[in-house]
Amino acid sequence: MANYLAQFQTIKSSCDHLVIAVEDVSDLWPTIKNNFEEQLPFKRACLNNKTRNPVFVENLPAEFILTTDARLRSRFPQEQYLFWFREPYATLVLVTCEDLDEFKTILKPRLKLIVQNDEREWFIVFVSRAHPSNDQATKMAKKVYAKLEVDFSSKKRERCCKFDIHGPEANFWEDLESRIMESIRNTLDRRVQFYEDEIRKLSEQRFMPIWNFCNFFILKESLAFMFEMAHLHDDALREYDELELCYLETVNMGGKRREFGGLDHGDDQAALLNPGNKPLTQIVQDDSFREFEFRQYLFACQSKLLFKLNRPFEVASRGFPFIISFSKALAIHENILPFCMREVWVITACLALVNATNSQYNEGHVAPEIEKEFYRLQGDLYSLCRIKFLRLAYLIGYGTEIERSPVNSASLSMLPWPKPAVWPSVPDDASSEVLVKEKMILQETPRVKHFGIQRKPLPLEPTVLIREANRRRASLSAGNTSEMFDGRPAFADGSGSDVSLKTSPSNKVQAISMSRALSSPGFEGSIDRPMRLAEIFVAAEHALKQTISNPDLQKTLSSIKESEQKYMELTKGAADNYHRSWWKRHGVVLDGEIAAVCFKRGNFDLAAKSYEKVCALYAGEGWQDLLAEVLPNLAECQKILNDQAGYLSSCVRLLSLDKGLFSMKERQAFQSEVVSLAHSEMKHPVPLDVSSLITFSGNPGPPLELCDGDPGTLSVTVWSGFPDDITLDSLTLTLMATYNADEGGKLRSSTATVLKPGRNTITFPLPPQKPGSYVLGVLTGHIGHLTFRSHSFSKGGPADSDDFMSYEKPTRPILKVSKPKPLVDLSAAISSALLINEAQWIGIIAQPINYSLKGAVLHIDTGPGLKIEESHSIEIENYRNSPQSSADMANSGDARKDSSVAANKDFEQLSLHNGKIELPDWASDVTSILWIPIRAIDDKLARGSSSGAPQRQSIVDGMRTIALKLEFGTSNNQIYDRTIALHFTDPFHVSTRVADKCNDGTLLLQVTLHSQVKATLTVYDAWLDLQDGFVHARQGDGRPISGFFPLVISSTSRAGLLFSVCLGKKFAEDENKAQQDSILNIRYGIAGDRTIGAHPPVAVKLNETEGTGQDLIFRSALVLQQPVLDPCLAVGFLPLPSDGLRVGQLITMKWRVERLIDIEEKRVPQNNVEMLYEVNANSENWMIAGRKRGHVSLSTKQGSRIVISILCVPLVAGYVHPPQIVLPDIDEASVSCSPAGPHLVCVLPPALSSSFCIPA
Amino acid sequence: MATTACFIIVSRNDIPIYEAEVGSAAKREDAAQLHQFILHAALDIVQDLAWTTSAMFLKAIDRFNDLVVSVYVTAGHTRFMLLHDSRNDDGIKSFFQEVHELYVKILLNPLYLPGSRITSSHFDTKVRALARKYL
Repeated sequence: MANYLAQFQTIKSSCDHLVIAVEDVSDLWPTIKNNFEEQLPFKRACLNNKTRNPVFVENLPAEFILTTDARLRSRFPQEQYLFWFREPYATLVLVTCEDLDEFKTILKPRLKLIVQNDEREWFIVFVSRAHPSNDQATKMAKKVYAKLEVDFSSKKRERCCKFDIHGPEANFWEDLESRIMESIRNTLDRRVQFYEDEIRKLSEQRFMPIWNFCNFFILKESLAFMFEMAHLHDDALREYDELELCYLETVNMGGKRREFGGLDHGDDQAALLNPGNKPLTQIVQDDSFREFEFRQYLFACQSKLLFKLNRPFEVASRGFPFIISFSKALAIHENILPFCMREVWVITACLALVNATNSQYNEGHVAPEIEKEFYRLQGDLYSLCRIKFLRLAYLIGYGTEIERSPVNSASLSMLPWPKPAVWPSVPDDASSEVLVKEKMILQETPRVKHFGIQRKPLPLEPTVLIREANRRRASLSAGNTSEMFDGRPAFADGSGSDVSLKTSPSNKVQAISMSRALSSPGFEGSIDRPMRLAEIFVAAEHALKQTISNPDLQKTLSSIKESEQKYMELTKGAADNYHRSWWKRHGVVLDGEIAAVCFKRGNFDLAAKSYEKVCALYAGEGWQDLLAEVLPNLAECQKILNDQAGYLSSCVRLLSLDKGLFSMKERQAFQSEVVSLAHSEMKHPVPLDVSSLITFSGNPGPPLELCDGDPGTLSVTVWSGFPDDITLDSLTLTLMATYNADEGGKLRSSTATVLKPGRNTITFPLPPQKPGSYVLGVLTGHIGHLTFRSHSFSKGGPADSDDFMSYEKPTRPILKVSKPKPLVDLSAAISSALLINEAQWIGIIAQPINYSLKGAVLHIDTGPGLKIEESHSIEIENYRNSPQSSADMANSGDARKDSSVAANKDFEQLSLHNGKIELPDWASDVTSILWIPIRAIDDKLARGSSSGAPQRQSIVDGMRTIALKLEFGTSNNQIYDRTIALHFTDPFHVSTRVADKCNDGTLLLQVTLHSQVKATLTVYDAWLDLQDGFVHARQGDGRPISGFFPLVISSTSRAGLLFSVCLGKKFAEDENKAQQDSILNIRYGIAGDRTIGAHPPVAVKLNETEGTGQDLIFRSALVLQQPVLDPCLAVGFLPLPSDGLRVGQLITMKWRVERLIDIEEKRVPQNNVEMLYEVNANSENWMIAGRKRGHVSLSTKQGSRIVISILCVPLVAGYVHPPQIVLPDIDEASVSCSPAGPHLVCVLPPALSSSFCIPA
Repeated sequence: MATTACFIIVSRNDIPIYEAEVGSAAKREDAAQLHQFILHAALDIVQDLAWTTSAMFLKAIDRFNDLVVSVYVTAGHTRFMLLHDSRNDDGIKSFFQEVHELYVKILLNPLYLPGSRITSSHFDTKVRALARKYL
């Protein structure tokens, strides 16, 4: 059957559509051929797929072929079965007939003969040649057609249709198409069934020795091809998939060593999209196919179908794994394949796949996810191709040009070297090339990284190439040489020898000397001489030229420039496609590679842009190791481009990377770059963000609390990430108010600050802030001309600051400025009155309210009538101690003398300067009491009162005010004003009374002393200086009669003194000294507590003796009036009748008024004075008849008298007040009422029979 | 035990918060960076795959010549990535599960800010012990 392979191929290539046989019974075909062929391809076909489900196929191509055609004749039956797919799928029988008889006798038997072959799907087209105008002919044609239908159509299936040659019926073509389709469908079903049966039969023998894959392949592909012809691409694809599976399952079965293939010229170019690359007959081997070609062939068939299905994505998604797995297969057979065949094949395969899929791919036709995935695959293909290309470039000595980036290193250093059976050796005539290569190696100067960063270059080779190559040379006994190389440290570190050339000049020298040693005459000519690197490169280049058949690829490897071009193309392709997919990281990494090439070509602008992208990715995701690799490159670009801002920020970023990533020296280099640039003239000074490098935080613990308006100092911890000390020319820190983001203050430290590496504490002066709480805002400052700013708070250390950036920082208030509130209270310590005119202590309590009074100054401004005893110092003491101490003082007299002032820490004497006192420090936080000696001055003499009840002195008289102003706060910015009212009073209030008037004219004068103070007063002595008209009785010295001194008067109590005085002229020598008022002098002492009120006055001199020092004199003026004359009138009530009074009985009340003395002339000019009288009586008790009120005339002469009588009627029985007479004009004192009228009179009830009246 | 293995925990924000070379092979000076590079690139794949399955263990998601990247994604989208050359799938799965438990314990620490670097030496010791046990 394998013999049919060639035939099969030719059939397949010649026939790519369905065939419909035309049985031209009546020679009609030439006339209607055009009409029929115009209908092709079929617009819409409905076919059954392999699973018998209807599939709609559009534009199904087909061909009408006459049965008499050569193509359909002369086939052997066996062939027919094998290549059944090319047999006609329907048979169209063209007939015409104009006569019923003719139909019956000739046509019908003939047709019967044609259609009796059951295997063919047939149907009859009756062609009517009758012209529509010819009714007769038309009718006849209709009749014949009817007959035809009766004979050939069945109910199940219509097998006839009628074609009118002169204008076919409207639905004829549709009819025809459906007939044809029906036939094709049936045929297809039957043939599929047949193939399936056959395939099943063969598959069952799969594991038997007689199994022949070629047979299976022909059947399977026939089926697939049939599906493909029918445009059932899905089914065809499935057949190929199954075929592939079956092939992979059986290819290496049976232990037969089969040829792999791939040794032909041109095999290095992948043919995975070209099914017709090689005829199948060429690749057949025994009963199967060579793997190399056949797998590519199968993939090509599949991809062809997929492209037809418009699924380029699937081609790519199948292609990538195919390339990978195929590459593995190539690796297995690498020892028989040409040198680097695998790499070259992968490169060409990837490129072919990329180009094919890209050209077939229409953007936007698929779901976005598929699209992304498609680009991802493209990227993968590009990057796979890129890596293999790099490997080839390295092998021919372009390794020096390859950027030793992580991506290249990761890809190449883990990719094993090609493993040819024998490493290619240097051609004889290539010594000049070797020299060139050697020169190239020597000339290659290691690229010094910016900032003098010393890094071991990343490896690009899995193992040392020189050893690998020499080991694989059959002729070399490897032992000695490899040992020799191992002995050299430069070669033993796992990287290539060219690496060692790069590292440092000293190494270079060593390498040179070594290579000289290797090329010494001793080795020359020896067959076993190990190849040098340059020789390896040359040998590889020559071998590759042999391998690579594609001139384009050969050209790209011909020079460094060409290969760089290709490399760039591949990298760009990969990067672009990755960027269009989800795989941004892959894309960005490749951008970095593009940047490296741009950099090398001097295109720094582009390089910087690409490096930016890479750095942004790594920095954003915090992969610092990777960032550390790229960032110096970016910095270098920026430096070359003179992008100062970018360069500075790159330096800062470098500095803020993990400390372990760079050595101290490198970090110092970064810093010195920053500093030198900062101090140079910058054209466009830009603020530099050093948030990652300089971080700051408030000090731990509670925030600083300040009162409104207070300045302060704020200490801030600043972490410096610089490796060395750095001088900041100025430093400013903003504060942000938490209540309003716009509000805030600025803290400035204008002097240069030197930041040590690590933690620094910086103290800022803090001007007064508005009330509220504040958090730290931004740190700004200058280094030279450079402005920098940092937003970053540190949690306590500079480490991990990046990790926290993504989290919302809990902003801890650093400063709280409280709202205006009372910070201090000044109040008077005493509540009761103090002694006036005496030096008294006033206590002022200074109470700080959660606020320090440190450095506070108290201004004291006394009001009028108040004077500070400046001779005496002011005392201050702790308020809590004071009650006790003052009690001590009271008990022990002048305790202050005994107690050591200095010893008491909470007691101090202060002096007043310009009305100011500075409070001591110890008093700054405790409530203290300030004792100020003060004297209230009152020039007025205290006046006594004469009435019995003591007249209250007006409080206002003793009121004094003292204005206090306390300046305090950190810079005495806080002011507290308070005016305190003080009440002063005399110790006594004096009231006098004449207690008795003795017969001898002596008056007993009672003086009552009311204590006005809350203190115990002791009267030691009292004397009275009398005014004119009075003299002391019995020529006394004015001392009271009673001698009970000392007389103790407790607070608010009273005491009395009795003086005897008499009227009389004093024998005064000097009339001028005559005084208006009598003066009471009292010598007294006072024992009181200054915390309560009045107390002993401040001793002027502490040394004064106790006795006199304590005694005080109180003087009070008394007004003594000379006693008045005797009453001038006497009123007497004349006796009532003795039989008593009775209700209703009229009675006359009589009063006698008698003038006792003469009225002075000046007061009463006339002789007779009209005197007003008035009788008052209770109208309920008395009814009065006559004049109640009236004037009587009374002579001014002494002894003149008059009787006033009133008629009245008692109304009520019982004891009642009688009516009384008053003389309103005359002072009551002048009227003597003796004998006094009766208080009550007895009124008897009325007589029984009598009647009486009651006033209305 | 695997000769080469690099274990990295990547936070939700793609930041590596813990890394350890847990292979038995002598560490190549430049390897750490390469491993980091491979794992970082594999994040691209994780991001595609993580949402296609409900399993936390994504198995081997990427292959880099001989090295394989296995990934385990926690519910909080923290990714445990292991670059290894062993083929012991069950061991890796167990390793991930136990590391997950350790990681949860770290998370429970009130002083640990999720997403920040894991500096606990206890955690490190345990992870290395697990690596010896399973890989």
